Amino acid sequence: MNALRALSPKTLVAAVLVLGAVSLQAQVRYQAVPGSKVKIAGTSTIHDWTVEGKVIGGFAEFESEAALDPSKTVSDVKAKVEVNVPVSQILSGKKLMDDIMHDALKIKNHKNITYALKEIKPQARKAGEPLKYDTKGDLTVAGVTKPIDMVVTLVPEGDKLRATGTQQLKMSDFGIKPPAPAVGLGLIKTADEVTVTFEWLTKKAAPKTASLN
Amino acid sequence: MNNQNNVYEINRRNFIGTFSSMMAMMGGVAITRAHENKPAEAQERFTGPPLNCAIIGCGQQGREIVTNLSRIQQANIAAISDTYSAYLNRTGRQAPKAAKVTEYKKLLDDKNIDAIIVATPTHQHKDIVLQALQAGKHVYCEAPLAHTIEDARTIAKAARDAKKSYFQAGLQQRSDPEIVHILNFVRAGAAGTAFLARSQYHKKNSWRRSSPDANFEKTLNWRLDNQTSIGLVGELGIHNIDAASWFLNMRPQAVTGFGSTILWNDGRNVPDTSQTVIDYARGARMLYDATLANSFDSEYDIYYGTDATVMLRDRRGWMFKEVDSPLLGWEVYARKETFFKEVGIVLAANATKLAAQGENAIIDTQVATQGSLYYALEAFVVNADLIKSGVTEFTTNFGADDQSALGDYLMDISKNHLPAAGWKEGYEATVTAIKAHEAVMKGGKVELTDELYNLA
Repeated sequence: MNALRALSPKTLVAAVLVLGAVSLQAQVRYQAVPGSKVKIAGTSTIHDWTVEGKVIGGFAEFESEAALDPSKTVSDVKAKVEVNVPVSQILSGKKLMDDIMHDALKIKNHKNITYALKEIKPQARKAGEPLKYDTKGDLTVAGVTKPIDMVVTLVPEGDKLRATGTQQLKMSDFGIKPPAPAVGLGLIKTADEVTVTFEWLTKKAAPKTASLN
Repeated sequence: MNNQNNVYEINRRNFIGTFSSMMAMMGGVAITRAHENKPAEAQERFTGPPLNCAIIGCGQQGREIVTNLSRIQQANIAAISDTYSAYLNRTGRQAPKAAKVTEYKKLLDDKNIDAIIVATPTHQHKDIVLQALQAGKHVYCEAPLAHTIEDARTIAKAARDAKKSYFQAGLQQRSDPEIVHILNFVRAGAAGTAFLARSQYHKKNSWRRSSPDANFEKTLNWRLDNQTSIGLVGELGIHNIDAASWFLNMRPQAVTGFGSTILWNDGRNVPDTSQTVIDYARGARMLYDATLANSFDSEYDIYYGTDATVMLRDRRGWMFKEVDSPLLGWEVYARKETFFKEVGIVLAANATKLAAQGENAIIDTQVATQGSLYYALEAFVVNADLIKSGVTEFTTNFGADDQSALGDYLMDISKNHLPAAGWKEGYEATVTAIKAHEAVMKGGKVELTDELYNLA
């Protein structure tokens, strides 16, 4: 801030103009806001279980707003998406279970679950139908990165954008041994497969450079 | 035979004669919780960086806190504070790595301190708690929260409004799994309709503390001065009365008290003996009897229901069934212990499950190795840490602009908290305790109105 204050208003305007010229045309950025939910559901020899996290950070940048307009059909979309889920905020309501789960997710060395989009392709649809995309991306859990293909639905809500999806995953794919906690008589075993359901809410970021274009 | 009691007596004899193996069911059943076999690996489980705690007030309770806290892996005793150097040094030996500070305000300015545990004399709680919350610390405040309604109200409101700080009141039994388990028995109606609670505290000691420094004696003996103390019922009975209100699931409506100084006529103006009667709805009552003039039968709590009586003593529970009470089933297999002419059924949470597994099941009557204070401090550390990580992760991912959304989020994750008394429970128990002491001092009845309990 001090550095900015030291600049004269003229230099500042010039600097902003230069930055504006470099930025992508009409690019739109959505920044994560509160209101998200990720659920991981699985089963075990004693009961089905669910854990939930409500902090999903990150951003989504689209080359153009057209990709988010249900009234239009677009064949090609360019986007950059990075998602971050802090493991410590994934909770079950039971401390013992949280400890086991956080431990399985190797929280000590890997505090976040992250996702980075690589490819996004709109599904064939008629104008007015929900926006569905076939996506390819890298999911990193417990420090292990795996490519995943996922269908994501985008729902614009005013200046907000809700992305939803469901994905089956295997713990073992990420080097996680399904927990078999030595509680009770030691008969608890967790199934390898889990279902991840998410709703990620983002909000259009205030245009910083676009207005100058 | 015309007498109802005789009918029961006769039936009882017949019953015993016919089903001798079930005899013990007539008496009490001991109540203990099922113990989790925590694996050794759980001890080493990563729980994040430790929560840096500072203890303010190094008297007897402060030392107890240090002892228990030092056993909690997730807690780091970063500092201890007391204005009295003898206390500070003595406690310092229990926590050699902790910084020793005479001026507690230094701890509030220290960014590395996450949590403040307040164990000073009751009348000094308010300023420390308010300043600690103001400084953004998580706060554990010993019960009673304060010695005046006004102070208690100020503390509770500040704790309620400090959304980013976790606040816990030192009603430690609220976090104790043994007691929570017995609570479930009473609340679930295993004892029928609970209508009476009776607790006693009988110790033969002066409650006076001595110091080589004569000037300090008065300060040290704040419990014996009505200006600073709310007496036996307020300082000790608060836990028993809170438990009774919790077990009965009702808020007190009135309190009547009696106090006298029987043995310790040493200039104190707080009675060494007091009896208190607390009225609840539907005719339910609680009797609290405390004396420093006699030690017979020490301390215990008894909850009387229409079907059974539950006794809580040294954190163990027993149930004594009425002869005409419904058969629960599992008590047949439960362990029993005899108290004079009554037989107590050891209340074990796993009794029902083990009964289903057959006769070979071993009922675990082992008493938890840790005390209530340990569980309360563990809850404090775990819950405060959850709030701390919630604040950090929320602001990292969403920024710090929307404080109201952050408040909502922290409220939402607080449903993951380990059970503990918050500002509300702490405030209500403190109000009852203060008013109970008031009743003892005036030797009469004090009404407990809703306005008293409701925080504006």
